[in-house]
Parts: sequence; structure tokens; C-alpha cells
Amino acid sequence: MKKIITSILILCLGTQSCKKVNENVYDKYPAADFYASAKGADVALANVYSQIAGNWGVGYAGADNCWYDLNTMSSDEQVIPHRNTGDWQLDFAQLYLRQWLPSATIVGNTWTWLYKSVYTANLAVDQLQQSKADASKIAEAKVLRAFFYYLLIDDFGSVPFYTDNNITVDKIPQSSRAEVFNFIVKELTENVDLLSETKGGTYYGRFNKWAGYALLAKVYLNAEVYTGTAKWNECLAACNKIATAGYTLHPGAANAASPLGYQYYELFGDRCPDDETILAIYVTENIISRNIYALRSVNGPNGVAMFGFSGWNGTIVPHNFYNTFADNDIRKKQFLVGPQPGGVTYTLDVNSLDNPGAGPTEGIRDVKFYPVPPQDGSGESNDFPIYRYADILLMQAECNVRLGNAGAAKPFVDQVRQRAGLAALAANPTLNDVYNERGVELSWEGHRRQDMIRFNTFLLAHDFAPAVPSFRLLFPIPTSALNANTSLKQNPGY
Amino acid sequence: MNKLYLYKYGLTLLLLFFSFTLFAQKNVFTGKVVDERNLPLPGASILIKETNQSAISDKDGAFQIQNPNLKTLTLSISFVGYDAIEKVIRANQPLTVSLNPNARSLSDVVVVGYGTVKKSDLTGAVATISSKDLNPGPITNPLQQLAGKAAGVNVTQTGSEPGTAPSVRIRGITSLIGGNDPLVVVDGVQGNMDLLGQVPPSEIESVDVLKDASATAIYGSRGAPGVIIVTTKKNKAGTSSIEYTTNNSVDVIPRKLKELNADEWKQQAQLYSVPASTDHGANTDWYDLLTRTGFTQNHTLAFGGGANGFNYRASLAAILQNGTVIHSNYKNYIGRIQATQKALGDNLTLTMNLNSGINDANYSPTGIGRASFTSNLISNAYVARPTDPVYNADGSYYTDPNVFQYINPLAVANTVVNETKVDNLFGSLRADLKLFKGLTAGWFGSWRKVDGNSGYYLPVASTVQTAIDNQGIANINNYHNDEKLMDLSLNYKEDFGDHHVDAIAVYEEQGQTYNGNFAQAKGFVNDIATFNALQLGDLSKVTPGDITSYKNDRHLVSFLGRVNYSYLGRYLFTASFRRDGSSVFGANHKWGNFPSASVAWRIDQEPFMKDQEIFSNLKLRGGYGVTGNQQGLSPQSSLQLVGSAGVTYFGGSPISNFVVSQNANPDLRWETRKQTNIGIDFGFLKNRLNGTIDAYTATTSNLLFNYTVPQPPYPYPSIAANVGSILNKGLELTLSYQLIKTTNTLLTIGGNASLLKNKVLNLSGSINGVPLNTNYVSWGPTGVVTNAYLIKGQPIGTFYILQHSGKDAANAETVVDQNKDGIIDQGNQSPDRVIEGSAIPKYTYAFTPTFSYKNFDASMVWRGSGGNKIYNTLRSNLSYFENLGKANVLESAVPLGIYTSQYASDQWLESGAFLRWENISFGYRIKTERIKYISSLRVSLTGSNLLVITKYSGIDPELAADGGTSSGVDNGIYPRTRTFSIGLNVVLK
Repeated sequence: MKKIITSILILCLGTQSCKKVNENVYDKYPAADFYASAKGADVALANVYSQIAGNWGVGYAGADNCWYDLNTMSSDEQVIPHRNTGDWQLDFAQLYLRQWLPSATIVGNTWTWLYKSVYTANLAVDQLQQSKADASKIAEAKVLRAFFYYLLIDDFGSVPFYTDNNITVDKIPQSSRAEVFNFIVKELTENVDLLSETKGGTYYGRFNKWAGYALLAKVYLNAEVYTGTAKWNECLAACNKIATAGYTLHPGAANAASPLGYQYYELFGDRCPDDETILAIYVTENIISRNIYALRSVNGPNGVAMFGFSGWNGTIVPHNFYNTFADNDIRKKQFLVGPQPGGVTYTLDVNSLDNPGAGPTEGIRDVKFYPVPPQDGSGESNDFPIYRYADILLMQAECNVRLGNAGAAKPFVDQVRQRAGLAALAANPTLNDVYNERGVELSWEGHRRQDMIRFNTFLLAHDFAPAVPSFRLLFPIPTSALNANTSLKQNPGY
Repeated sequence: MNKLYLYKYGLTLLLLFFSFTLFAQKNVFTGKVVDERNLPLPGASILIKETNQSAISDKDGAFQIQNPNLKTLTLSISFVGYDAIEKVIRANQPLTVSLNPNARSLSDVVVVGYGTVKKSDLTGAVATISSKDLNPGPITNPLQQLAGKAAGVNVTQTGSEPGTAPSVRIRGITSLIGGNDPLVVVDGVQGNMDLLGQVPPSEIESVDVLKDASATAIYGSRGAPGVIIVTTKKNKAGTSSIEYTTNNSVDVIPRKLKELNADEWKQQAQLYSVPASTDHGANTDWYDLLTRTGFTQNHTLAFGGGANGFNYRASLAAILQNGTVIHSNYKNYIGRIQATQKALGDNLTLTMNLNSGINDANYSPTGIGRASFTSNLISNAYVARPTDPVYNADGSYYTDPNVFQYINPLAVANTVVNETKVDNLFGSLRADLKLFKGLTAGWFGSWRKVDGNSGYYLPVASTVQTAIDNQGIANINNYHNDEKLMDLSLNYKEDFGDHHVDAIAVYEEQGQTYNGNFAQAKGFVNDIATFNALQLGDLSKVTPGDITSYKNDRHLVSFLGRVNYSYLGRYLFTASFRRDGSSVFGANHKWGNFPSASVAWRIDQEPFMKDQEIFSNLKLRGGYGVTGNQQGLSPQSSLQLVGSAGVTYFGGSPISNFVVSQNANPDLRWETRKQTNIGIDFGFLKNRLNGTIDAYTATTSNLLFNYTVPQPPYPYPSIAANVGSILNKGLELTLSYQLIKTTNTLLTIGGNASLLKNKVLNLSGSINGVPLNTNYVSWGPTGVVTNAYLIKGQPIGTFYILQHSGKDAANAETVVDQNKDGIIDQGNQSPDRVIEGSAIPKYTYAFTPTFSYKNFDASMVWRGSGGNKIYNTLRSNLSYFENLGKANVLESAVPLGIYTSQYASDQWLESGAFLRWENISFGYRIKTERIKYISSLRVSLTGSNLLVITKYSGIDPELAADGGTSSGVDNGIYPRTRTFSIGLNVVLK
């Protein structure tokens, strides 16, 4: 009986029913159709850039707990001490003391972010190729992918390598640092010349040809670290390409309208000026990315007094790093020491980084990214320079010194020094002069760890941080990645 | 026995003697049958022992019998659901017979899915709680009436915030991705737990909880977490009544955390060299400022009536609550009407239900305050220093700019607006048509609409940092749920000699649509308009996420059937089958099959049991069934879709950003739960001792979960898929014993207990041949350390934690370096962690004695659970002395003297066992025979949550144990109240 009735019902209603269980989508777009349009191609590319923008736990720079913190706090230029008021977790002090573990949150976040970025770049390359987009756009996506792989080998050494998202994990080899290096070089040399030569405007915040060469120069600059074989000439050649594009140093003159009283600080202001900036991250607080670095450094009342928002009382500059700045250097204006607005007095030194932690007003603060509006208590809108011409000049200087042409290097270093109100060097620069100049010029811009490794200072002791064995030159592959893919090999020493 | 017979026959002989001696004359016997509340019982059957004749009471409960011969008659009067009674009636002396509802009658009807069965014919595990057994007192949600009332049904009330419903888990945690809430069926209307909030607690006739899969499989894809079936009160045929029920309570906070007062704080501050600048010289009891005595009122007016073939009941209920935290309150008004009409010579029955409710709540703000204490406002009162003043000299709220994200809790309580209004409407129509003997066709349709809107305003005066940064934040949130169900059924019921068959076939369609929108504005010149005029905000401050809307839907199509078959009334067999299609699953797995079968053997009905008197009831049951879970899975989960991702900068201007929102999985499918249940129902000593024992084992396979996937190549580190499995095993016992049973007195002691063992069998496997290695998954709220994990081979929510070992010279906490490598690793799979119990209780029990003497009655519920651990995050946060400069600490922190800790160790892991005196209630039925307009009047006094016996140091050990990700962690809760209430029930003539 039941069966008969059921069969009748099925006959009557069955055909209709099957359609009823199809899924309706009202408030999203189906992926396949979406990227096939010309607008979709732009969106695919724009989405890769959106990965670079910093936000909580993701992005290149601007926010916290990702790539920027990993690569700056592990150097000698900044650290967030645990405070004896119970504020700030130990993650940052542990990075600074080079005690990080494979389970560290910031290590894991950086890995997760970089591989999500690689996926996004792969997707963009694929979507742009399928929709037969403009060659310059395809090249741009490929250069972006090379950028992420460069960041991956710089931090982690030998890493899983893939370029097609339609793949399973067992088909993704852990390629050696040299193999990935070769891929990056090949991809960049094939594609940078296809990129637009436009500076600023519609290419602000994008890889134009010069940003492509800046990336290539960076890769060559560290070739010895990555592969054991130096590429100083190749680095120089890439830098020379950029030199032909007409970049100049932004003026350093005193100007009451500029942050901290000097035009120099416009480089870290609302919009990185086109004269010097090669590649920057565009920031509008709460809308696109954010920049927390000044707010994170100053304490509450000091922040309110200076720019109307309570500071987080976090990052300090180690005393010895501060000492590398000459008193007449306009770049020393970025630091806050002694009595400050809001009735706060910052000390030069901190008593403790971890236990019991630093006192509430201990430590030198940094407002290089002096907040520009729109801002609020969770960040400001300063754009963030990834590559700028001063960096290129110092790379040219470094290559020349390393190639034995210290004389040729001197004008490059002097340009940078003189812009900052310093005298030209008395003698031809040594490697140490270039290293110090890089530290002073590019502090808090994310270059310090890489520079310290290249100049062999990374493993040495500095304020609070004892010397460490060489395995610390690489970060560990995060535990979460090892667990999910058991064929991955951890870096030695961890 | 023999004496009774002798008496009866003796009496009869005596009567006969009289009737012969006196001349035969027409003797008229009149009487009236009423229920325990003195309401007429129409349709009661009256058997005249002497003549074997029978009569039925009329619509007024009255009956009349004529007998020419006898002066007195012995009547046996019975009515379904009431204890049968024997009375001797004398001619011309009207008699009122009052029937008492029976305790656990075997003839009780149990509501199962898509039908009813007699309790004696039940083959599955079903707990039935009738209205008189429901918890009394200031009930605001029907679930509270069930706490402690059924084995294996664990009702957890976390805090007593007005308008917050308890959670319920039936036989443990069945799913990890959600969908652990039972299906709720109210008079045939299916819905999620929120449907229960739409039922006036005083209008519930009975609640049936379907526990095992043989019972729930008929609900197929929605049946896995169990089913709660609520049957509301209906007007008794042919009667009319007006009834008013009220309950009013005073709600107090029985327990608060002991913290340092201002003097103690100063003393400790000196001891730990906290700068004097942090002492702001006041003496403030923040907790006291934020709390008050609460009140709960519950009023229900119900009336009904009917005549031949027509019947209705209407009611209006109001539940009004003022919470113990200032400014929190809740109002719930529910109106309902139910009507039944017969037609076509009683062959067609139409039943219509209409229910409309208005909820109006002001909730205490959550998610406010310093990073670690964001769970609720009241916890911020614990954090605030006792030496901080409430106000500045100018009358504004005090804040301390030196403390990161300082908030003044009183300012938040007084200035934040957090309103939620929800309109509920549901209606249903059932049509049953008798086609021919035994065969009935049915149509049922229900439609439920929920329209919610909430408004939130965070003004600058709240002292909350984001409000200050943005010059005030206002938002409104609207949502609309639309749930439709339609089914067609054929029911066939017939006896063929010793064979009884009851079969049903159903075709069912369900459609659920959800849509809503959210809008937010920031930057207000003043606070006058709160959230009522977003356009008054500074529109240049609009950021991505400030304006959103959504719409999605879900469709279910089902074919189902069930056959109940019994032979000789003692061999019972039930089989059901359901085939469900659901839109939320991947293209490859839209349809699923859910079969079940169960058998029962009523041993007491066997001829060989006839001569024994030990067992009055003995039944063995066994069943197996497959159920599914799809409700826990959001629509669109299987598709690769492109969604909004804020704004990015490209081509020289900000443009909308889009991302691929999730990993596609066309293989996404049913999570299936296979459950085997065996049970025994027994009654000894003429049912003075009754009990039920059930044992079950249930495995959820194809476990839906966000599994860890390797990155690369996946863009996200997890994917929703069907890979693992979990196991629940349990034992349930329910007992009741009538210790004293006399004409006037009944003392029943009863209770229930259940044991639950739960285990993660497997979380790893493969998707498309790609191995997945999911293990040691953090099982807690994101961003909060709980140390609870999912670990293969361990219970859900296993605490895997660092062991506290003491403190070092600087008073920093130290922990055990388990692998002695000199490094304390706090990672998820750290060898320095050890397993220390689980967040999920292993046992629950309740003791529920009841007593009645004449018109007086009393009942009590004690219930408890244990075998679980609680991670007391709140206590750890309130125990480090390095925080003293910006916060208060607990008194219990003083002897520990821990200055700082970089670990979340087992120092703060505590046993969660407790025994709660849930309630005690006294009732008295006032005699109303002489009151003209009142047929029944009962007053009651109830005390609830009178005592908690526990070692747990937090405010209350009853925390979310729902298997959700906040299980087993105490971040501070809204206070749990102790209530004292007075109740009244009046039935008018």
C-alpha cells in the first residue's frame, strides 16, 4: 500500500522536486562568469594588490601580526616590549630576542598570507590569460606572483612552489631556495619590460616597469644569501634601468607644513610623492588598509595630545639603534625621547623586554609615519613605501663597494646623506658606511632584517638580544603547514 | 483482593435483597464528572458494574442513569488521561465525581512525528512530559520547563539575561559544524529553537522529546539532533472556559565574585609598587552600581468553547522581565487562536492555528571593553578599579586616558542603546478527510514569518574608545525569515483480527528564505536621534561593511513513509523511510535516504505473565535508524562564489574589491548519524514503581567540519567537507516510585540520570584523493585562549593544556616543561601540553519528588551534572597583579601572588560539577464549590535556583555546554538569578 502510494507521489511530484533542490544564489556572483569580463580582469588584478595592503594579521605592512612585524621586530630597529602593566603579549619580544618557535602566530600568519597571495596571483594570471587580457596586465600579475615568492624564499628558504591553482598538494614540490630564485629571475626578466612605464597616476601603488626592476634588483642584491652566488653586476644593471626613469630624491628641506617640520617626512605621509616613490601601498584608514605604526608606538595621553587619538603604548626603538642617528640628522626627528605633550616622559632605555616587562613610559618612540587623516584609534592613513629611490641609490652604492668601486659608490651615499642635512662622507664609503646609511634612511620600512643578514650582523648580539646560531637566518616553516602537508621538510635547527 | 470481592458481591447481594424487598420503582441517578480543577469532563465513560451498562457524560460533564431495581449503583468512571475511579451512587442524590490526571498512564498518547501512538505501543525512545510535570515558576522559555525532566535531555541556562533562551542538547553533541539544536515542532509547524520562544509556556499541554534515531528518522535530514514536539492546549470538546494564569517573581543575584575593595586594592598596590598615580582616590562598588533586583511577570488569559463539531481556544500571554543588570529588559506578547471544525458528516476535520508574537528586548551590551573582557558588560564591572570614581568633577563619566581602551561600565550601561524587536507570525491549517474505513487523507500547510529589527547606538558618552574615535556609532539591522512547509499525507489504520496496521505516507516540501540588511553611520553631532536617523551621521565616515544586505534560501523535498504493525498487541514493529533532497548540498549529493526500524515486545501481555503480580508493565524495545543534518550548513556552502571584499586601490582610485569567497566542494553532502537504541520499560507493584532504561550508541559519519587543508594550494587553511566521524554512547535511566499512595496523599519520588561518552573518532581522511591531516583543532572562540581541542580519540572539547608548576623569583608563573627541552611551546600540538578532561559533562542527573495531600501539592527539582572541566578565563584575567595598575583583581588572587604569566595554564582549569536545587514549589487549590463564578482557583509559591553545590569558583558553573565553540570557557556571564515567585491560576465558570 505504502509503496504504491509513494510511487504515485513520486511520479506526480518527482520531476518537479528535483529542480526544487537546486541552489539559488541571490547575493553573490558565480565565479566563472564574473572574471570573463574586461572589468572582471581588472578586478582579478586589483584583488592581488588588495593582498598587499595590510590589515589585522595579513598584508605586507601597515597593520600588525604579519610580514612587517616578522621582518622588523626580528631585527635591531624596533620591538614591542611586554609592559609591566600587563599590556602586550610576548610574541614581539620573542621575535626580537630571536626565540621564535614554529608555532608562533606571526610566523604562521605570514606563511598563510603569502600563500593566499600566491593563490590569488595564480588565479589572476589564469583569469587574465583566459580572458585574453592586455599583455601588460598578465605581466603585472606574474610580477606580483614573483614578488610573493621572493618574500617567501627570503623568510622561509626552500618553499612549496606552484603556479597553477588546479593542483593537489602531492603535486607541489618543496623547491629549493635556488630553484625558486631562478623562477623569480626568469619570470621578472621576461615580464618587467612589458609593464607600463607610467609613474604615479593610474599606476600609483602598482608594479610599473620601474617597480619591476626594483624588485629584480632586490632579488639580485640578495642572490648570494639565496644561492651562494652573488649577482652584484646584475643588481647594478637593474638599478641603472630605474635611474633612467627620472626618479629623484624628495626634498629634505625644513617646511612647517610638513609632518615633523621637514618635507622629507612627506615620503611617509598621506601620499608617497611620485618623485622618489617607486612602489607604495595606498592607505585610507578603515577603507583600504591602515597604518598603525605611530599610533602603536606612542602612549595614550601622548597620542591624544599630539593627534587626538589614544596611542597603544607599544613599539620602542632600542637605544643602540637610536644611537646610529647623528644629532643633526633630520631623520632623527622621527624619535620621541624625554618630555612629550600629554605630560609623558619617554626614557632612552627599557628595563626589561619580557619579565616583568618595561615600565609604562620606558623606551624611545617613533613617529616616522606621523599620522595623517583620516585616522582613528585603530590607525591612520599614511601610505607605505615598499620601494623608493633612496633605497635604489644605496643599493647602487652597495654593489659598487662590493665590486671594489668604492669611489663610484660615494656620490650615491652622499646624495642620501645630504638630503638628510648631513655632510658628505669624508672618505669613500665602506660596506659598514652603506649598512649604517641603510639603517638610518630605511628604518621601520621593512628592509632591516634582510640587510642585517646580507651584512652578516643578524646573528650578533644587540640590546637585550644575545647572539644566536645561524639557523635563525631562516624562519621555521609553521607547525600548521607541516601538519597539513607532512611531506614538507622543516628548516634545519627547528 | 479477595476481601474486596467479598465486599463488592456482598454489597450487590445486599442491594438485590433491598430491591426485592421494596417494590420496583424508577430510580434516577444523576451526577457530574469533573476534572481536578472542577471543570466538566464531557465524554467520560461510565460503566455500571451491576448491569454492565454504560453511559457517557454530556457536554456539561453530567450524566443520568435510570434503573428500576437498584437503589445504589457502583460506577466505574474513566476518561483518557485520568485515573479511573469507582464510586457508589445513590438514587436521587446527585454526585460530583472528580477525576485526577493519571501519572504515567499506559494509555497516554505520545506524539511522534507525523502522528501519534499509544505509549504502550511505542517502539522508540521518547520522553513525554505533560503540562503538570513541567517546571513551575517564572518561566520565560518553554525549555526552562524541561530542565531536569527527561534523561538525556540536557537544558543549559547560561546566565539569566532577559530574553535569552537556554540551550538544549539531546544525547550529546552530534555535529561539529553546527546543527546540534533539535528540531522543534509546534503543533506540526517545524522550526529552529527560536520557534519555542513563540509558545506561551502556560499554554503547553505536553512536550514529547524524540531521542533515538528510530523515532527521529521520520524527520530525516533534520532529525539527527533529536526532535522536541510541543503540543499546545486545546479546548476540551464541548466545554467552555476562561482561565487566567499568572506568575510573578522577584529575581536576585545569589552569588558574585569576591574582589578587592578600595582599601584592599590600595594595600596590594603598595605591596606590588603600583604607581600611586593609578589610585584615583574613590571607593566604588561597580558591580553594585550595575545590578539591581529583577522582576519577572508572566500572564496568560485563555478562553475557549465549542459545540457540535466546532471547538476553539484563544489565548493572550505576556512575559515581562526586568533584568538584574540595569537597563536590560524583555517583553514578549503572544496571541494565539486555534479552531477546529468538522464537516461532511464528521469525515472532514479542519484545524487552524494562528500565532502572533511581539518581542521587545533591551539587551545588556556585549563585545565592549578591553580586549580580554569582551564577553559582556557586567564583566567590565569586575575589571574596573575600586578606586576609580564614577564621575568627573564636572559630572561627566570618569575615564583614565592612561589605560588602553578604558571604559566606564556605568557609562556604557546608561548610555548605550541596544534594542531588538522581533515580530513572529505563524499559522497552519490541517485538513483530514476520512476516505473510507481506516483510510485518511491529510493536507497540512504552515507558514512562519519572523521580522526582526535591532538598533544600536554607541555614543561618545559611553567612554568606549571606538565611539569616541568615531563621534558615535549607530546601526540598524533588519532581518526577515520566511519558512514554509506543506505536506500531503495518506494514513491507513486498520485491525485485521490480531493484526493492527497503522501506515502513513507523506510528501513534503519546505522552503526557507532569509534576507536582511544592515546599515551603520558614524559621526553624530549629538545623541538625540540615537540610531533612528542614520542620515544625521557624517556620511564621509562610511566604510566598507557599513552597508550590507543578503538573501539566501534553502529548499527541502521529502518523501516519507512509516508502518506501525502490531500482532496480538504485544509484538510491535515500526519501520520508516525518508528520502530528502536539500538545496544546500553539493551538486553530486543532493539526495539522501534515512531508513529506520524498531521492534518492541510487551512481555507483560504474554499469557505466561498472566499469573504473576510482580511486573505490571514490561516492555523491551530495540531500534536502529539513520538521520541527517543539513540545517547546520549555510546555504551556498558548496559553490565557488565571488563576494564583496571591501575596497582596494587600483588604477589610481579606490575600487570595489571582490574575492572568491570559499573553496568550492561539489561533494558536500549529508552528515549522517546512525544510532542504535535498546530500551526497557518496566512497572512493578501495580505500577507503583515505574522506570525506563535506554542504552544507545550513535555515530556521526561524513562529519561536516571545516577541515584543515594544506596551504598551498588552498587559499584558505580550511574547507567545509565530509570527512571525519564522532561517536556518542550513553545510558539513560528514569525512575519513579509512589512511596505513599492513599486516597488523599501521594508522595512520588522520581528522577533520572544519564551517562554520556563522547569521542572524536576521526578528523582526517582525504578529499579528492588529497590527504587531510586535521587534528588538534582549537575548539574555542577565535582569538581567546581556551585550551580546548578536538583531538582524535578524545572527547570533543578536550583540554590539552600546560601544567602550572608554581612561580619564579619574580612571581611570574611557571609551567612544567613536559619534554624537558628547555622550551615551553604553546603551539597546538606542543609536547608540553597534557590532556586534562573535557568541556562536555559525562553525567547528568535529576531528582524530582512530588507530593500532594488533598488540595495541597508540592514539587521539587534538584539537578546536576559533572565530569566536565571549565576553563575560567575570567579568573585568570582577574588574578595577575601586573594588571593592578589598570584593573581590580579577585580576593583569591592574593594568596596566589602571581605577578604575571605568559601561559594559559591548568591553574585556571576547574571542575564543572554541580548540583543545583532548581526549584521548590507549593500549590494549594482553594475550594471553590461555593463561589459563584469561579470553578477553580490555585495559588502557588515557587523558589528557583535556591542552592548550587559546586567547587567551581566562578559565578555559576552552568556555562554553554552546547558543543559550540564557546563550550567550557568562562569569560564572565550575565548573572544567574535566584527567584521567588507567586503564581495564581483561576478558571471562571
